Amino acid sequence: MAKTPVIAIVDDDEGVRTSLASLIRSLGYEARTYGSGTDFLERPGEDPACMIADIQMPVMTGDELQAKLVASGRRFPIIFMTAFPTETVRQRVMSAGAHCYLNKPAGGDEIIRRLEEALAGHTPG
Amino acid sequence: MLAGVPMSRNGLRLCSAVLAFAVFLIDALTPWEGAVAVSYVIAILLAAKTTRRDDIIIAAIGCAVLTVAAYGLSHGFEVIDSAALRASVSLAAIAITTLLALQNQTATKRLAAQARLLNLSHDMIFVRDRGGVISFWNRCAEETYGWSADEAIGRVADELLQTVYSQPREAVENTLIDKGRWEGRLEQRTKSGAVLAIEARWAVQYDHLGEPRDVLETLTDVTDREAAHAALVQSERRYRRMFNASRVGVLEEDWSAIRSALQALNLDKANIADYLAHNPDFVRSARPLARIIDVNPALQKMVGADGASAFRESVDKLLGESDRTFFRALVAFAQGDPFYEGETELVSLDGRRVPVLFTITFPAQSDGDRNVLAFVVDITERRQAQDALLAAQAELAHASRVATLGELTASIAHEVNQPLAAIVTSGEAGMRWLRRDVPNLEEVAAAINRVVGEGRRASEIVTRIRAFLKKQPVQQESHEIAEIISEAAKLVERELWKDHVTLNIEAGPDLLRVRGDRIQLQQVLVNLMVNAGQAMSKQNGPRIVSLRTSVDESGSFAVTVEDTGPGIAPNDLPRLFEPFFTTKQGGMGMGLAICRTTVEAHGGQLSAESTPGSGATFRLTLPVAQEHVA
Repeated sequence: MAKTPVIAIVDDDEGVRTSLASLIRSLGYEARTYGSGTDFLERPGEDPACMIADIQMPVMTGDELQAKLVASGRRFPIIFMTAFPTETVRQRVMSAGAHCYLNKPAGGDEIIRRLEEALAGHTPG
Repeated sequence: MLAGVPMSRNGLRLCSAVLAFAVFLIDALTPWEGAVAVSYVIAILLAAKTTRRDDIIIAAIGCAVLTVAAYGLSHGFEVIDSAALRASVSLAAIAITTLLALQNQTATKRLAAQARLLNLSHDMIFVRDRGGVISFWNRCAEETYGWSADEAIGRVADELLQTVYSQPREAVENTLIDKGRWEGRLEQRTKSGAVLAIEARWAVQYDHLGEPRDVLETLTDVTDREAAHAALVQSERRYRRMFNASRVGVLEEDWSAIRSALQALNLDKANIADYLAHNPDFVRSARPLARIIDVNPALQKMVGADGASAFRESVDKLLGESDRTFFRALVAFAQGDPFYEGETELVSLDGRRVPVLFTITFPAQSDGDRNVLAFVVDITERRQAQDALLAAQAELAHASRVATLGELTASIAHEVNQPLAAIVTSGEAGMRWLRRDVPNLEEVAAAINRVVGEGRRASEIVTRIRAFLKKQPVQQESHEIAEIISEAAKLVERELWKDHVTLNIEAGPDLLRVRGDRIQLQQVLVNLMVNAGQAMSKQNGPRIVSLRTSVDESGSFAVTVEDTGPGIAPNDLPRLFEPFFTTKQGGMGMGLAICRTTVEAHGGQLSAESTPGSGATFRLTLPVAQEHVA
């Protein structure tokens, strides 16, 4: 049996973090949660198969985390979810290679569909 | 012969001596057989005119000696004949005249002593005959009218003094003759022309036949008294005019019964306030004792009364049940304060409540307590204007809150959408756990728990925002400061995070309370924190907003909001709180103006200081509410 994909969840909101983890686990994947971008960068380990990250977070925002990862050559699909979408940020993260940019609250089906896409290596379409 | 011509004493003495010597020459050298020596009595009477006892005696002895000497020279002393008889008659005449002159002189002396007594009087006294010719003029008359006795005696009184009578002169004279006396008012002029107001008392002196002869006039100068009285009358008229015409309501009250009630308590001034504070029954029972004596038209109008007569008897019914100022006025009265000022409501005759400002003045105790005056101004219109102003202020504050929230949309969207996202995701996850071949009920339960929890959280956020946006009249309640700060921080923290601003809150743990409107105070803090964050949003250096609380020496509570931004330009600093002053692009410039108005309405102050290049500090002070809640 293939190794269970690990999905990293970065969100400063505990409620969002926990519920996403539950959804991921219900799909049979492994979920790892991080309270902030710094938390993710500081905890050692293999790169996740995919990352679901919030944009508005204190100290380090989601797009800053993405930039740091790109700068250090770590590339894996990132699904951004934001409670306050702006066009500027959407363009920035998409051009930096994000898998997609979703608005909160996003439906479970959409999250799952995007996640499956990312794991299958599809480019968003 | 001599009566009309006044002559000095020495003149009289000389005349007397010359006359006596002439009689002697005639008596001794002429061969006339007659009692020439009887003419000596004229010399004695002349001497008596000097009114000196010694002059009379010397004249008498002189004349007797001359009589005897003349007899001796012409007749010799050997033979006693008719010539001797004539000499004896002459000597007898001299003796009798001397005796009479001496008696007359004693009587004159007594009269002179009486006249001197009249000189001691403080009234002007003069004697005149029925024709008005003055025969006596006392010293006070000399001093007051200015004419000496010598100048006045012999003149007609009415002409000299230019007397003006308040009734016809004949009527005065008739009363005087009928009753023997007259009293009345006169106007007279002094020598220097000054007009005097005179109170006159006249009395008639009768001669031995019972016919009126002289009139004794006793006169009192009442010019000053009349002037004082006139001034008093004028002052009273002036007061009446003010009382009647003033637009300020005036109440004249009698507090003497209250004074008695207070004295019956037998407390000293230091304890009376304390006693009154603890004995509301006494205060209540004192209200009907404040009797209303008079009310002016302005006050009648204020409370809808038709006239002073139909007015209330005491202030009891005039003051509403909720009045607290009577107690304080009573304390002021008991402590001997000259006045007390306050704001209360009067109850009009038709039951309306009339808001008023008043001053009640207590006369000095020596003037009696019947003269307590209260001046009352109707402030209904002012109160309405004030209410309108407060409403406008609340309206403006609300508009500003809406604007502030507009600036916080990022935060609000985030705040609301986060729990919604968690709810939706949890629901989806729960469904999946449930639809598994073997449902994982533990996961389902956890998911449903999260749905419930996050739902509550979303509702709290909505409540908080709604409360902040709610348009409501200004509340006056006591609030914990820490709570207001934490609510405000929750509203702005996302906004600050968005701009990478760190918010440090160093609030003391003490549970201090302030009185006022929670939302408005929260708004001030929100504005200050958002401004601080925006001030730093374009800089590269550290972005820190520090909110600190402290209690200063005066017992005021202070909050400082400090940023690490570029600071405020010195030119902008004084205008910072002016309406429509802004340095922000697209800013309305009302935020800080409203903040300061709000803080001042809460009895506090809001100020700013800044050193350009090293941030700005806004300092807000508020009075601490008295009731401490442990």
